[in-house]
Amino acid sequence: MFNLKKYRKKSPWILHYNAGSCNGCDIEILASLAPKYDLERFGVVNTGNPKQSDIFLVTGPVTLRSRERLVELYMQMPEPKVVVAVGSCSCTGGVFRDMYNVEDGVDRYIPVDVYIPGCAVSPELIIDGLVQGLEILEQKTKEMEKPLKLFKESTCEEGIVNRRDTALKVGKIDEKN
Amino acid sequence: MSKKTINIPLGSQHISLLEPVRFKFECENEKIITVDSDVGFVHRGIERACTTKFKFDAIGYVVARVCGLCAITHSLSYTAAIEKLLGGEITAKSKYLRILLLELDRIHSHMLCLSHTCENAGFEAMFMRIMGDRELVMEIQELLTGNRIQFDYISIGGVNRDISSEISKKIIANLYEVKQRALGYMDEFTNNWSLSLKFKGIGALSLDDAYMLNAIGPLARASGLNIDVRNEIEYLPFDEVGFKMQTHRDGDINARNLVRLNEIINSIEMCNNILEGLPEGAIFTKLKGKPKGEAVIRFEAPRGELMYYVKGNGTAMLERVRIKTPTFSCIPAFSHIFVGENYADAPAILASFDPCLSCTAK
Ligand code: SF4
Repeated sequence: MFNLKKYRKKSPWILHYNAGSCNGCDIEILASLAPKYDLERFGVVNTGNPKQSDIFLVTGPVTLRSRERLVELYMQMPEPKVVVAVGSCSCTGGVFRDMYNVEDGVDRYIPVDVYIPGCAVSPELIIDGLVQGLEILEQKTKEMEKPLKLFKESTCEEGIVNRRDTALKVGKIDEKN
Repeated sequence: MSKKTINIPLGSQHISLLEPVRFKFECENEKIITVDSDVGFVHRGIERACTTKFKFDAIGYVVARVCGLCAITHSLSYTAAIEKLLGGEITAKSKYLRILLLELDRIHSHMLCLSHTCENAGFEAMFMRIMGDRELVMEIQELLTGNRIQFDYISIGGVNRDISSEISKKIIANLYEVKQRALGYMDEFTNNWSLSLKFKGIGALSLDDAYMLNAIGPLARASGLNIDVRNEIEYLPFDEVGFKMQTHRDGDINARNLVRLNEIINSIEMCNNILEGLPEGAIFTKLKGKPKGEAVIRFEAPRGELMYYVKGNGTAMLERVRIKTPTFSCIPAFSHIFVGENYADAPAILASFDPCLSCTAK
């Protein structure tokens, strides 16, 4: 049968968003998709559609106006997803740190899985980071497949039912007990 | 047919855009009637930081981060302004090396723009070919400066790295390759039927409009307007190394592509001339003092005229740095061209402007 989960790792689709970068890292992402570095041999396709993407490449130090779009794009991507911060300025703010219109780094808003430093990053590093991202993607896929299990009764206080922490992934319950 | 119009947004995140910009097209059937553009998504506040956070000798490397594509023009303009204020003279060799890198940068920027136009016209194979050939230029930039994109090559008083004879041999060999490829593209862009279907007669700007709307750079030169800052300035000896103005009459996307291709070939000639007659000497002279007074410097970036205004008061902190970038001046012309075109052509037209939004928003 056609198994989507098995093939996700073989052909990850990437979404690229520029959150205020200087273009340097964006060009290098394009260059690494082009024939010399050829990221497409890993099955990578650059899409413009967040709903079809698995890997989110973010460049730039997140300016005040781009942060809502950044979070929105992240929310629209289906699970499992991996976020890769490309470039020094998306990791820490880099040269733009402490400027008045800049939030230093992507990880203030969305969780980042792989950080790629460098100003500008070289295409070799981008490929390395993406391949690491693929491993994380596979792990996350496995994690999602584990069933949830109720292990606690929900509490009821003043008519409000609280189900917090009642369900956990199977592996985690074993760790707890 | 109804007279109702629909609004179609393009951006801020879109597959055909490298950078966040939002256009709001008001369309009647297929035709675009009005355009509304919003360019400020990547504003970071670099001008302000230049006067509060960094000392004047570090700013050359900060303003390079305004834009990754014309990084060299930004740091060169700033450095030239400071050198004017400090009043020193730099060596002839460093001047020629600066032009060399400026022209290499122009070649790779134009090639990126050409490939991007092809991609947005739906010709993916051409995109891949041009991007593959662009690596030849990136290679020699890395050899010359140590980095592929952000070179940090120019410092106040000269340049940071010397050139050796092996490097210049490699540069000449690679540029020869690039020239052959560029001549091949020229043939492709003029004769290929599917490319001309997408490019010829689309997005045209007439000479009068170009003049009225203050277009600059390849956009204006494609309409026949004779403006190029390299023709007008004297800090760098452009006429000595064989600069020639490239213009075209039609003003459409095809004309812009051809102007860019001609400029690539002209830049290659200039680089070869520089490498042949490179003078001996030091690459760096130490300039003393702190900048005091005002200076205005203009340079031709790959997209048009770039202007820097620097004001210093005799301390290490500057009072004002003002950057006027090419795309910003071209926005009226952009909006004018879109009106009356088909919506389906909008991405290709947009790519043919070669807009640089991180320059515009700073
Ligand atoms: S890391 Fe450097 S080259 Fe990359 S986007 Fe940021 S400033 Fe530009």
